[in-house]
Amino acid sequence: MKKNFLLGLAIFGLLFNSCTSDDTADIIINDNGGGDDTPPPSGTIFLSGTFTEDLTLDANETYVLNGSLIMAAGTTLTIPAGMTIEALAEGSDVYIAIAQGAQIIANGTADNPIILTSDASAPQAGDWGGVIVLGEAPINSVTGAATATSEIASLPYGGTNAEDNSGSIRYMRVQYSGAAADGQSENNGFSFYGVGRGTVIEFIQVFEGSDDGVEFFGGTVNVNNVVVVNSQDDSIDWTEGYSGTITDAYVLHGAEHDKGIEADGYNTDIGNNSNPLFFSRPNINNLTIIGNGSGTGNEAIRLRAGTQGIFTNVLIEGFEEGFDLDGDDGDNPTGAGVLSGDLSVTDVTFTDVILEVKNDTGETFMDSDFLSGIGSATGTDFATWGAGWTVGL
Amino acid sequence: MKKLFLLIALLFTALSFAQEIGSVKGLITDKEFNNEPLPYASVVIKGTSKGVSSNEEGIYEFKDLDVGSYILVFSFVGYETQEIKVEVVANKVTVVNVPLGVSAASLSEVVITTTTRKESEAALLLDQKKATEIKQSIGAVELSRKGVGDAAGAVSKISGVSKQEGSSNVYVRGLGDRYLNTTLNGLSLPSNDVNKKNVDLNLFSTDIIENVSISKAYSSRFYGDFSAGNVDISSKDYKGDWFFDFYTGSSVNTNAADQNFLKSEGTSYFGFYNRFDNDPFAVVLSHGFDSVDLNTPININFGGSFGKSFDFENGSRLSFYGTGSFENSFEYRRGSNINFTNVEDRAFEDAEEFEYSTKTTGMLAVNYKLDNNNSFKFNSLFINDSSDRVGNFGIDGGGRNRNAIQNTDEGFFQSNVQFDQNLIYVNQLLGKHNYEKFEIDWGIGYNVVNAHQPDRRRISLENYQLALDNDPNTNPTLFSNVVFDNQRYFQNIEDEELNGRINFEYDYAENIKINAGYNGRTKQRDFDNIRFGYDIVNPNTPVTDVNDFDSLFSLENLNTSSNPNGLFNIRVINNLPGQSNTNRPGLPENTYNGQLDVHAGYVNAEITADDNKWLFVPGLRVESFDQNISFDVINLGNEGQSSRSFSDVVYLPSLSVKYNINEDQNVRFAISETISLPEFKEVAPFVYESVSQRIGGNPDVLGFSRILNIDLKYDWFLSKNEIISIGGFYKRINDPINQVVAFDATGTQRFFRTGDNAEVIGLELELRKNIIMQDEDNAKLSGGFNVTLTNTKQDLFETVDGTIFDVSFSSDEEELQGASPVIINADLSYSPKIGTYEPNANLVFSYFSDRIDALGSGQLGNVIEKGIPTLDFILKSEITEKLEFNFSAKNLLNPTIQYEREGTGVLVTSPNGKDVTDYRRGLNIGFQLKYKF
Repeated sequence: MKKNFLLGLAIFGLLFNSCTSDDTADIIINDNGGGDDTPPPSGTIFLSGTFTEDLTLDANETYVLNGSLIMAAGTTLTIPAGMTIEALAEGSDVYIAIAQGAQIIANGTADNPIILTSDASAPQAGDWGGVIVLGEAPINSVTGAATATSEIASLPYGGTNAEDNSGSIRYMRVQYSGAAADGQSENNGFSFYGVGRGTVIEFIQVFEGSDDGVEFFGGTVNVNNVVVVNSQDDSIDWTEGYSGTITDAYVLHGAEHDKGIEADGYNTDIGNNSNPLFFSRPNINNLTIIGNGSGTGNEAIRLRAGTQGIFTNVLIEGFEEGFDLDGDDGDNPTGAGVLSGDLSVTDVTFTDVILEVKNDTGETFMDSDFLSGIGSATGTDFATWGAGWTVGL
Repeated sequence: MKKLFLLIALLFTALSFAQEIGSVKGLITDKEFNNEPLPYASVVIKGTSKGVSSNEEGIYEFKDLDVGSYILVFSFVGYETQEIKVEVVANKVTVVNVPLGVSAASLSEVVITTTTRKESEAALLLDQKKATEIKQSIGAVELSRKGVGDAAGAVSKISGVSKQEGSSNVYVRGLGDRYLNTTLNGLSLPSNDVNKKNVDLNLFSTDIIENVSISKAYSSRFYGDFSAGNVDISSKDYKGDWFFDFYTGSSVNTNAADQNFLKSEGTSYFGFYNRFDNDPFAVVLSHGFDSVDLNTPININFGGSFGKSFDFENGSRLSFYGTGSFENSFEYRRGSNINFTNVEDRAFEDAEEFEYSTKTTGMLAVNYKLDNNNSFKFNSLFINDSSDRVGNFGIDGGGRNRNAIQNTDEGFFQSNVQFDQNLIYVNQLLGKHNYEKFEIDWGIGYNVVNAHQPDRRRISLENYQLALDNDPNTNPTLFSNVVFDNQRYFQNIEDEELNGRINFEYDYAENIKINAGYNGRTKQRDFDNIRFGYDIVNPNTPVTDVNDFDSLFSLENLNTSSNPNGLFNIRVINNLPGQSNTNRPGLPENTYNGQLDVHAGYVNAEITADDNKWLFVPGLRVESFDQNISFDVINLGNEGQSSRSFSDVVYLPSLSVKYNINEDQNVRFAISETISLPEFKEVAPFVYESVSQRIGGNPDVLGFSRILNIDLKYDWFLSKNEIISIGGFYKRINDPINQVVAFDATGTQRFFRTGDNAEVIGLELELRKNIIMQDEDNAKLSGGFNVTLTNTKQDLFETVDGTIFDVSFSSDEEELQGASPVIINADLSYSPKIGTYEPNANLVFSYFSDRIDALGSGQLGNVIEKGIPTLDFILKSEITEKLEFNFSAKNLLNPTIQYEREGTGVLVTSPNGKDVTDYRRGLNIGFQLKYKF
C-alpha cells in the first residue's frame, strides 16, 4: 500500500484511530484435539476434481476423498462392494456429486457394504460433505424443461424425464457427513436432486450427519430400505415436487435432532413454478420413527407448503407431536390435500405421543379425515432387513 | 504587511498633486457570496478604452485621471453590470465601493472564465443556460438554504432525482446506481460500498462542495458507462486573501432521544476500529459478543475551514483551502423484519435497530496560479465513514422461523451487531493552460478505498419468550441448526484506482470550437472474507442471561482437549493447510479480484451558426475496456476457483443541438449511444448473507448493455433566478441486468440479464419563480417545483439458462426496478428584511411514488417500496456579520417506511434497505452556530 502517497491526511485518521485500544491477545494453541494429524498411508490415491471420463475404483487400492469429486455428464463412477472411502475431515468442499447425465454404480452387499466416512481419528458429524445425485426428472421449482441449481456444488438438476437413470446405489453407509457449505447451507447424507425412477436406490444408511439424512429435491426416484440414525437436522426431507415411493424407512433420533420427516410441497424460497401445477406427492410405505420421548418435545413429521403424500403403515414413538400440518388456503394447500385425499395416512400407531395431529393449515378437517387405522401399524421390519450392514443400532 | 504597503502607495498617489488630477478606487464585493471581495471584476470608463480589473482583494483603482465626471462600468462574469457616475476631484481619491450581484442579461457579452463563482443559484442557472449540455447544478448557497448537509441531499433537490430512504441509493429518472456515475472535479470517484458502483453522496458534506451537478445527457467526454446521469462534485477552493471559520451544532432525533443507545464493542466514538492488524481468530478469542452502552444520543457536529493565499514576486499566487469536520448521528428504528416469499420464512414482528454513524472529513486544496494562462490545483480528500449497528429481532418473544427446531410459532430471536468502516482517500492533481487558441485541461487522480466490516456478530435463540417471563427456571436456548447460526464475520475490500483525463480545446474558427481528449482509468478491487461459526456441542443449551453472551462464549467454555466438556467449538469453512477447521484460524472463505481498464479517446466540435442562434455539438468516443474477475469462492463445486474476462472496443456517437429562440429561451435536443458495464460484485459469485437476505453475483452477466438516449428540453429563463423548463426523454437499454431470486435450492438473489430491452420514457417539468419581491432584485417569497413522470417497461425472458445459475419469469413484461412513475420536489423560501436582519426560512418537500425495489422471479411477486413524502424546515439567520445561527426540523411528516411483497399484502424486509422495515425515522431537530473571523 502506498500509504505515504496519501499525505498527512492519513495521520489525521490515525489520530482518531488511537482513541480505541487494541487489547487483542495472541493466539496460543496448546490443544491437540480436533482434526486428524496422521497422514494417510503412502500409496493412497486422492480423489477430487471433475471427471469427464469414467472412474472405476479398484478394490485393491486405498482411496481418500480430498475435495469435490464431480462426475460430469456421460461418465460413470463405479465403486466395488466392500470398499471404504475415507474423506478428509476438511468440511465443505469434500463430497461426491453425480451430475445430470452421469451415473453411479455402487452395489455393495449386506455382507460387504460400501462405506463413505470421515478420515478423522475421532470423527464427528459434519467432517465432510456427503453424496449428491442430480438427475433430469421433473421438479416444480421451474417451468418445463428448465433446470435449477443445487444447494451444494451449484450444479443443474431437473427436467422432463421421469424415467431418468442415475445408476444404482445398494448397501451404502454415509457417516459423519453434513459439513457446512456456506453460512446457511449444509450437506446432507444423501441429496437426490431431480433423480428419476430409472435409478436404483436401496439399503442406504446415514449415520451421524449434521444436517438432513436423506433429502429429495423433486424427482421420481424410488428408495427402498432407508436407515437414518442421529441426524442433527431432519432425518428425511422432501421438497420441490418429489413424487417417488419410499418403502421401508427407519429413523432413530439422537440427542441433537430436528424432525423425523420435514416435507414441503415446493421450494418456498423460489415458489412453485410448475405448469401444470403439481406438489410433492410421494408414497411412504412402512415407516418407523423413534424419538427421545414425548417429554423432550419435538415433532415426528412436519408437512408444509402444500405437500401431499400417501403414508401407509407408520409407527411413531416418543414425540410430543405426531403430525404437524402447516399451510394456508392460497399457495400452500396442505389442508386441501387432506380434504381431497391426496394427503393421508393409512394404518398408524402412536406410542408415547401426546398430540397426534396439529392442524395449522387454515382448513378445517377431523383427525379421521387424515388418519385411519390408528393402532394397527407395525412400522418397518427393520430387524430383518437392517441386520448386518448397518451401524449405531 | 502587504496592506500597509498598499495603503502607503495609495497615500502617495493621493499626495502627488502636481497636476489637476485625481483618482478613483474602491472595493468590489460579491453580493452572492457573503459580500466577500470580488476579484477579477472589470471596471471600464465608459466611452474610453481605459479599464482595470479588481485585484485578489477586490480592490480596483484608476490613477491620474483628469478632473471631471466619468461613468464607470462595473461588470463581472454572470453578474449584473452597473454604471456609476463619479466625480474626480483634484488631488483626491474618490472611493467607490460597489457590490455586484447576479444578472442573467449580461451573460451574452462576457466570456466565461475560470473565476466564475458557481455557488449561487442564479450563477448556476446562467451556467445551465449557457452550457452546451443538458445539465443541472445546485450550489453551496442553495444547499445551505435548503438545509442540505451533503451531496446526496443536494442531488435529490434536482428534478427527476430521488433518494431511497434508509439507503444511499439515488435514482435519476428512475434509473439507479448501475446507470449513474460519480466524479469529483471530473475524475472518477470510487464507491465506498461493495454493493454499489457509486460512492455514497452522503459522505460529501457541504464544506467540501462548491456545487453538485447532474449531467443527464451524454457528452463524449464522459466515460461510456453512462445512462441516467453523471454526478459531478466540484470541490471548494479559495482564492481570496485569508479566512477562518468554525461551526458547531447539535441535534436530536425524536426516536433515538429516549433510548439507552447501544453500539458494538471495540469501536470508538469517532468511528474507528483498530483490531485490523490481528488475525480474525485472535479477535474472536479475545473479544466477546456483547454490545456496549453509548452515552446520551445527541448528535453533534463541528468543523472549521480556513483559506490563505500567498503572492509571489513573479505575479503567481498560491492559495490554500482546508476543511475538517466531524459529525455523528443516532438513529433508532423500531419495526419488523419479515422474510416472506410465498410463505413466511422468518418473521420478527417486533424488531429494533440502533445505528450510530460518524463521518470525519478532511480536505486540503492547493491552488497555484502561475500566471493568467497556467494554473494548477492539488486536492487531497480523506473521509472516514462508519456505521455501528445493533439489531435485535424478535424482542417481544414472538419471532417465528419455519425451520426452527423447538418451536416454529414463537420465540425465535436473532441479534446482529455490525460495524462498517470505510476509509476513503482521494488525491487529485489538476491543471489548466491557455495558449492563444488552445486550452488544455488535465487531471490525474489516485484513489484508495478500504471498506471493512470487522467482526459482525450474530446470535440466534429459540424460546426467547422464556427470557421475558421473569421465571429464572425457564430459559431460551441457543439455536444451532447450522454451525453459523451463531457467528462472527469479517470482510475486507480494498479498491485502488488510477485515472486521468486530458482535454484540448481549440478555437478553430470564430464559430467552431474543437475538443479532443483522452480518459483512462485502471481500477482494481480485492475482496476477502472469513467467518467463524459457534458449533454448540449440546443441543438446546440454555441461555440464562440474554444480556451476557461474553461469559457464555468465553474462552473457558471452548471445547478443547484440556476442556473436553466445553460448550462449543469454533468452526471455520476453509482450514489452514494441515490444520483442522475446528478451533483453529482459517483461510478466507471467499476472495475475488476484479480489474477494470478503460482507455478512451474522443473528439467533439461546438459549432455555432446563424448568429449564435444554433449550437451543434457532434461527438464521437472510442472506448476500449477490459474487465477481468478472478475468484475463489465456496460452494460452487469445481467452478469455485476460476476467472472470467471480457474486453471490447465500442464507438459511441453523440449529437446535441441547442437553439436559442431568443435571449431567454432555448430548446435543446440530444441523442447518444452509451453502454453499461456490470459491477465486480454482480460478476463475482460470492454470496453475502445479511439477517434475512442472501445476495450473490453471477459471472454470466459479464459483457455490456448498449443504451440509446434521446433528450428534448425547453428552458425559459424568466429572470436571473426564475426558470420554466420542460423536458422529455427516452432510453432504450439492451440486455439489462436485474437482481432477482435465482432458481437455486436456497433462493439466493443474483444478477441476470433478464430480457432483450428495457425502455424508459419520461417528462420533466421544472418551475422556479419569485412570488413576492423584496426589492427589484431580491425576492421575499420564492418557490421551486419540479416533477418527473416516467413510464418504464422491460421485457422478460421466459427462462434464463445460465452457465451456473438459472431463473425464469411468469410474466413477460415488467416495470423497471427503482423507477417511480412520479417524483416531485418542491421548496418555498421566505426571507423578509427586518432592518439589517435577514433571516431565511425554507420549507423543502419531496415525494416519490411506489416503485419496484426488487423484481420477482417465477411465482414470486415483486418487492414494492412504498412511496413517501418528506418535508423539512430550515431557518438560517445571520445574527451579526460574523455569527450565524441556524435551526432545522427535518422529516416533519415522519412517514412510515414500508416494503411489500406484491400480491400478498405482506410487509417484508427490503434487499436494498435496512434490516428493519415498517418503521419511522423520527424527526431530527437541531441547531448550528457558525462563527467567521
